[in-house]
Amino acid sequence: MTETSTTPARREESAGLMQYSVENLVPFGPIHPALKEPEYFKLVLEGEKIAQVIPRIGYVHRGLEKAAEMRPWVQNMYMFERTCGICSFVHSLCYGQAVEELTIYQVPRRAKYIRVIIAELERIHSHLLWVGLMGHWAGFETLFMWVWRDREIILDLVEEISGNRVHKSMNAICGVRRDMPENMESRIVEKMKFIEGRARYYREIIDTEQTMLERTEKIGRITADTAEKLCAVGPMARYVGLRHDVRLNDPYAAYDEIPFDIVTRKEGDVHALLRLRLDELVVSANIVSYAVQHLPEGPVRVKIPPIIPAGEHASHCEAPRGEIYYFVRSTGGRTPDRVKSRQPTMANLPTALEILKGQTIADVPMVLTAIDPCFGCMDRMAFLDTETNRQWTWSGEELRKYGINYYRKRKK
Amino acid sequence: MSEIFPQQLITLATGAGAKAVELRKEEFMVEVDQQNLKKLISQLVNELNVHHLSTITGLDLGQNIGIIYHFSFDRETVHVKTLVPKSNPSAISIVEIIPGAILYEMEIHDMLGVIFSGNPWMDRKLLLPDTWPADLPPPLLKTSKPSEIRKRLQLEVEQK
Repeated sequence: MTETSTTPARREESAGLMQYSVENLVPFGPIHPALKEPEYFKLVLEGEKIAQVIPRIGYVHRGLEKAAEMRPWVQNMYMFERTCGICSFVHSLCYGQAVEELTIYQVPRRAKYIRVIIAELERIHSHLLWVGLMGHWAGFETLFMWVWRDREIILDLVEEISGNRVHKSMNAICGVRRDMPENMESRIVEKMKFIEGRARYYREIIDTEQTMLERTEKIGRITADTAEKLCAVGPMARYVGLRHDVRLNDPYAAYDEIPFDIVTRKEGDVHALLRLRLDELVVSANIVSYAVQHLPEGPVRVKIPPIIPAGEHASHCEAPRGEIYYFVRSTGGRTPDRVKSRQPTMANLPTALEILKGQTIADVPMVLTAIDPCFGCMDRMAFLDTETNRQWTWSGEELRKYGINYYRKRKK
Repeated sequence: MSEIFPQQLITLATGAGAKAVELRKEEFMVEVDQQNLKKLISQLVNELNVHHLSTITGLDLGQNIGIIYHFSFDRETVHVKTLVPKSNPSAISIVEIIPGAILYEMEIHDMLGVIFSGNPWMDRKLLLPDTWPADLPPPLLKTSKPSEIRKRLQLEVEQK
């Protein structure tokens, strides 16, 4: 814990904090050699409780939308895949669907099924990664180790199908680049059964294990009404009971041919999010098994000319974290006129800020991880106590230890 | 409910002095001017129960800047399009009606320089760096060249 002395505040930061009659703010920026990913939340405290949260994002903004205007249509597909290191495939899928609508060509049915298989495998690996992180932040390292071991199974499958573990580069405009390898069907079904079994086992653990229950139950609550008003997407909408899932509401790829139902919960706390994502693992595993067993025969790709006809189209898909949105505008050239991309974390940020209000500092890591932010962990945070005007900063690790110790002391 | 939705939307748009066009199956585009935007969107939310704003897109269309609000409702998608002149890029904020729009409006403010009156966070930056010079044009305008922006930002660093 580092106490900070009085230093001139930065103009932008003080603007929103003036109402708290504080003249000096924490001088530490979010860019620091110790950071994994730079994001910055300024928490205004009243004693132990959080009164206000001020976000500052954009530290890893690389201007992809501008860059897209200078690159050919096909090249953009693989550039947008690099938006995220976890849910990479769904970005190229969503961009591809928006572009495909502008052309006169149809995506082959087999390609649609392969897209579903990869997208669902990606969802399983992303959810597993998240469950592991929740275990880590709660001080339950065993869960973290177990879950990340199971995640390797999925990554190996993805590598076998696409040739890559993370950036699959499977999509092409109007199809996929590779066909499914032969004789994989039984192996995939077998592994999906294993994942399903593990998901049920983890579900049992989080419902009975005291460490997890104490850190998650009745924490991070929000009402369905507020979530709807703040336009929450994905699991953040489903954990309060909103039936918001693009796969079901507006089916894309082959989702309209596959029988499945989405999971929703009513409790609206962090524990509900854990249950929800573990239940979704079972649903995704079943979708993969069904798609592999009902894979239609035929070509996987249609070759298209490099010029896309003029027009505008928007497309949305259900990424592991929620709805992603792409808007594409063409003026009939070799490059797009405009590509707009909106990621689920951006849509969920207002909801996350609302949830954080009224929480204690000890719960911050759990609540912020619970929204599954794409920027991973919020390594450095600035604190400001309005009662004593004391300011300090903590690293993510210090914050994690504070949370674990807080609950340990309370138990005694 | 979805069968009568297109009819309701067309009636609503006509009331606000706009026209609803069916682009594709279950996809509608409503073009409306700035004065009627707030009225149309509050009617969409309150009367047609369209609550989910997916995102807001800003477009550089030469003389004007286009702002498209993408709403989704069940299987239907509604795009509400409005234009603001580039010479005076000021628009009306819809944060009062849809609080979730706050970050999208900030993004368009950063990227295209549109000022949304009524958005409480308009004085802050969301995506651009703190060191972004005030006289540099917004980056997503067609007239801004990445090489010039890079040169200018480099100069700023060297001066410090």
